[in-house]
Amino acid sequence: MSIRTVRIFRYDPEKGGSGHFDAFSLQIENETTTTILDVLLRLQREQDPSLAFRYACRVNMCGSCGMVINGVEGLACKTNVSQLPPGKEITIRPLNHFPVVKDLVVDMEAFFKKFEETLPFFEPKGADAEPAQIRPDSRERLDIGLSTECIACGCCVSSCTMCRHHEGYAGPAALNRAFTLLADSRDALFEPRLERALASCYSCRTEFNCTEVCPKNISGTRAIKYIQRLALKHARSEPKPAPSPREHEAAPPTAARHAPPATAQPAPGACGQAAPEACRHAASAVDRRTFLRQVGVGVIGLGTALVLGGIATGVAVGPTLAKSQKQWAPLGKLSEIPKGEITTLMLRYELKTGPYVQPVAAPVLVSRLGESLVCFKSSCTHLGCIVRWDALSGRFLCACHGGTFDRDGNVVAGPPPRPLDRYAFRLEGDQLFVEVG
Amino acid sequence: MERNVSIECRKPLQWGELDPGRRENTKIGMWAWLWQRISALAIIVFLALHMTLTYKPFVQLLLLLAVAFHATLGLRVILLDFNLVDVKYQRALVWGLAGLGLVVMGIIWFSTY
Ligand code: SF4
Ligand code: FES
Repeated sequence: MSIRTVRIFRYDPEKGGSGHFDAFSLQIENETTTTILDVLLRLQREQDPSLAFRYACRVNMCGSCGMVINGVEGLACKTNVSQLPPGKEITIRPLNHFPVVKDLVVDMEAFFKKFEETLPFFEPKGADAEPAQIRPDSRERLDIGLSTECIACGCCVSSCTMCRHHEGYAGPAALNRAFTLLADSRDALFEPRLERALASCYSCRTEFNCTEVCPKNISGTRAIKYIQRLALKHARSEPKPAPSPREHEAAPPTAARHAPPATAQPAPGACGQAAPEACRHAASAVDRRTFLRQVGVGVIGLGTALVLGGIATGVAVGPTLAKSQKQWAPLGKLSEIPKGEITTLMLRYELKTGPYVQPVAAPVLVSRLGESLVCFKSSCTHLGCIVRWDALSGRFLCACHGGTFDRDGNVVAGPPPRPLDRYAFRLEGDQLFVEVG
Repeated sequence: MERNVSIECRKPLQWGELDPGRRENTKIGMWAWLWQRISALAIIVFLALHMTLTYKPFVQLLLLLAVAFHATLGLRVILLDFNLVDVKYQRALVWGLAGLGLVVMGIIWFSTY
């Protein structure tokens, strides 16, 4: 025996507003044999006769008692109190995505409208006198399995967040129904049904919420994937997208008998056209929501484009602007450079610019003529040709345009605008380093 | 069907609206969907950071992590779409692929650094 607190969503159409939770406390004899439906019935009988909820069969067959229990969709008559976390309070609220009529009762009209859109009825192919034979172990029978057991409780539609974001989405239950008929080889409405169902399948984001909540263990996700694969197979086997003339003639009259014509608009938002007065909140909210969504998509798209464009530009232009990193590169041993001469040594190092690494080899003119050491860059200050030391004339000569420098690097003749550049250098023991980059 | 009364409905409740217990009971498939979107945004940000701050191992790690998640969760959808994995294994698939993604990421990471 236990005492449980039960919080129930209340909405009174006479008072309006957006609803609130009422807390009740109830003594429960045996939690394993008490369902949420029992709880609701007792509360209605013992504590608040104005509590509204729907039920009929009490044995998981009619699908009337779908509601959200502790944040999960389920049938009140199938959820036992013992299945919920012990000792915690229980919250019960109506299904999502349907206008709330009163307390836990929702208007399921939109749900059945969506059902109709996918032609949820069987239409035999010909007027055969003989019954069709589908073996119980045949592929199609096994594929369909127990998916025909849907009781239209609406739990899956309530759990799927895409039913909110995609207005025309038929939802898992309707698509599951379409799947059971599409997979049936006796079905005459394959083409129009496939077309309608497929249009809705694009809204599925593989969240598996519907699969998780279905009281009949049906997987809406599986049905949707099945329809998509069916469409793929169909498109491959039949290159012409237009339906054959025979089917074209046959389809519309049969469809019109049971369902809205092919041109019927999807029900606007969660409210059917038949109820323009009831739920007028929803209609105006939808317009604004649609607008805000479009703006949101625009902003996100623009932001993404800017960021990606920025990256692309950065990659293309960046390296030419980026300063390469300064570093000390080893040039040689001081003891191996003869005194009183100008020696050409090869400098090898890796130049790092932005993300790129480039091996560099450049001759360096090391002068030990005077007191101190001088490391001249070998590129001419005019246009960068390699300058070489001519010991005979005692000059640095550039072969390209006749630039001539004296032993200290000053310009003697030719076009160079300034003396030879020098490297900063450093001695670590015997090892000579020059600064590059 | 005739309606004899015109009453004011409350506008539909939404997922998570006045919905205690919803977050704790959100199942893995939903998280897989959400994390793929989040990792997509993360890739844009980390890619921008990666290009501006080159050779920052931390940024590279984050980028690699985001890409690993995004790719494995994308693989999940492909495998399910083409029925290469039965939908009844969808929960294990998320864990398995995320684990695989981390392993591959680790191999890439430790072979470069
Ligand atoms: S598919 Fe399952 S959850 Fe959806 S309406 Fe049918 S029985 Fe309910
Ligand atoms: S009352 Fe019929 S399914 Fe719950």
